[in-house]
Amino acid sequence: MINLKHILKLRSLPGATSCTSAFLKETLTAPACSRINASMISGFPTPMRRELCTEKKMPTVRYSDPAIREPLKAFGKYAGECLPKYIQSADVTIFDELEILIHPEGVLPVLSFLKDHHAGQFVNLSDICCVDVPSRQFRFEVVYNLLSLRYNCRARVKTYTDELTPLESCCSVFQAANWYEREVWDMFGVYFTNHPDLRRILTDYGFQGHPFRKDFPLVGYNEYRYDDEQKRVVIEPVELAQDFRKFEYSTPWEVFPNYRDADKNMRKEGGGDEK
Amino acid sequence: SKAAGKLTTGLTGLAVNSTPHISLTALYDRTLKLLARMPADAKYRQSTEAIVKERLAAVNSEPDISRLEKRINCGQIEEVVQQAERELQLARSFLSWKPWEPLIGQAPPNQWKWPL
Repeated sequence: MINLKHILKLRSLPGATSCTSAFLKETLTAPACSRINASMISGFPTPMRRELCTEKKMPTVRYSDPAIREPLKAFGKYAGECLPKYIQSADVTIFDELEILIHPEGVLPVLSFLKDHHAGQFVNLSDICCVDVPSRQFRFEVVYNLLSLRYNCRARVKTYTDELTPLESCCSVFQAANWYEREVWDMFGVYFTNHPDLRRILTDYGFQGHPFRKDFPLVGYNEYRYDDEQKRVVIEPVELAQDFRKFEYSTPWEVFPNYRDADKNMRKEGGGDEK
Repeated sequence: SKAAGKLTTGLTGLAVNSTPHISLTALYDRTLKLLARMPADAKYRQSTEAIVKERLAAVNSEPDISRLEKRINCGQIEEVVQQAERELQLARSFLSWKPWEPLIGQAPPNQWKWPL
C-alpha cells in the first residue's frame, strides 16, 4: 500500500531528500570523512552526493542513489495501481529513470493522469521520439519524455505500434506534442489520429519514404544536384562515387559479459558491428 | 482586495486570485462528487479523495492566504487552484475511460526486450 503522504512529502520539498538528514548523521559520526559540507554550515539542507563520503567498492561503476530510486519506484507502482487497464509495467532503469510501459490504447489516459494528477504534475512534455526495431511484431516504440517541475522529476512513457496502426495524438493534453508527432510521422510513418495538422516537417516537399526507418538506406534513394543545362536542381537516383564501405569494429576480447546472449542473437540475425 | 493581498503571482499568464477559498472549495466539492461515482476500491479514487479532503480541510480551517499556501506546501494559491482544476478535469475524463478495470492487453512476448 503506497503511503501517498510519503510520496508527496518526499517530493514536495525542493532540493531536500529523505537521505539528506541520514547523510548528515553519517558525516558527523563517520571518522573517515572530514569534509565540511554547506548544509552543516548554513543549516539548510542541500542535496549532496552520498558517494563522496561512502567507501566505494566499485569506483568505476555509476553510483545509484536509493534516495532517487525509491520515490520513483513508489510512484511507478502507484501509477500502475491507478491505471491497471493500460499500464503493463512501470520500472526504474539502471540509470534511475522511471519508465512506464503502456498499451497503445492508453496514451491519452496515462498522459492525462501524469499531467493532471496532484501527485504527478508532469506538466512538461520534453520529447516524443520513436524507435524502430524491425524484428518485432510492433516495430515502432513511441517514447514520451515528461518532466515534473513541481517535483523535479522525469518520467518516460513507452507504447508500441506497427506501420499501419495509428496512435491517438496527445495534442489535446500537451500542446508541445504537435511538432513532435509531426516529426515521428515524417521520419517513421506512425500515424496520429485527431492531430490538428499532421504533415511532413523535416523532409522535402514530395519526398517519399520515412527516413529513420531501419530499412531506409543511409544515403537515401535520390540525390539532388544543380544542373547547369536545365538551370535548376534536379532529382536523380543516388550514385555514389565510392562503394559503400562497412567496417567491422569487433575485438577479439569479450567486452560485455552480461550481454553474451545478445551478442549471439545479433550475429544470428546477421546484425552489424558490435561496439 | 488586491491591496490587502499580493499584487502579482510572478508567473506569466497566472492572475492573482482574490477569493481562492471560494474557488478551491467549489473545485474540491465538484471533484469529490465526481470521485463518488467511481468504484470504491479504485486506487485513484481512494488516493485522490485523500488528497482533496486534506486540502479542503486546510482551506476550510485556514482563512489567511499565505499561511494556507505554506500549509498546503505546493506553490502559490493560484497554482493550487490550477492543480485543482486539472484534477477535476482528470476525474471527469476518468469516468469515461474507467482505467481501474483490468489490463486490456499484454504486449507480445518480446516487445519490450532490450537488448534483443
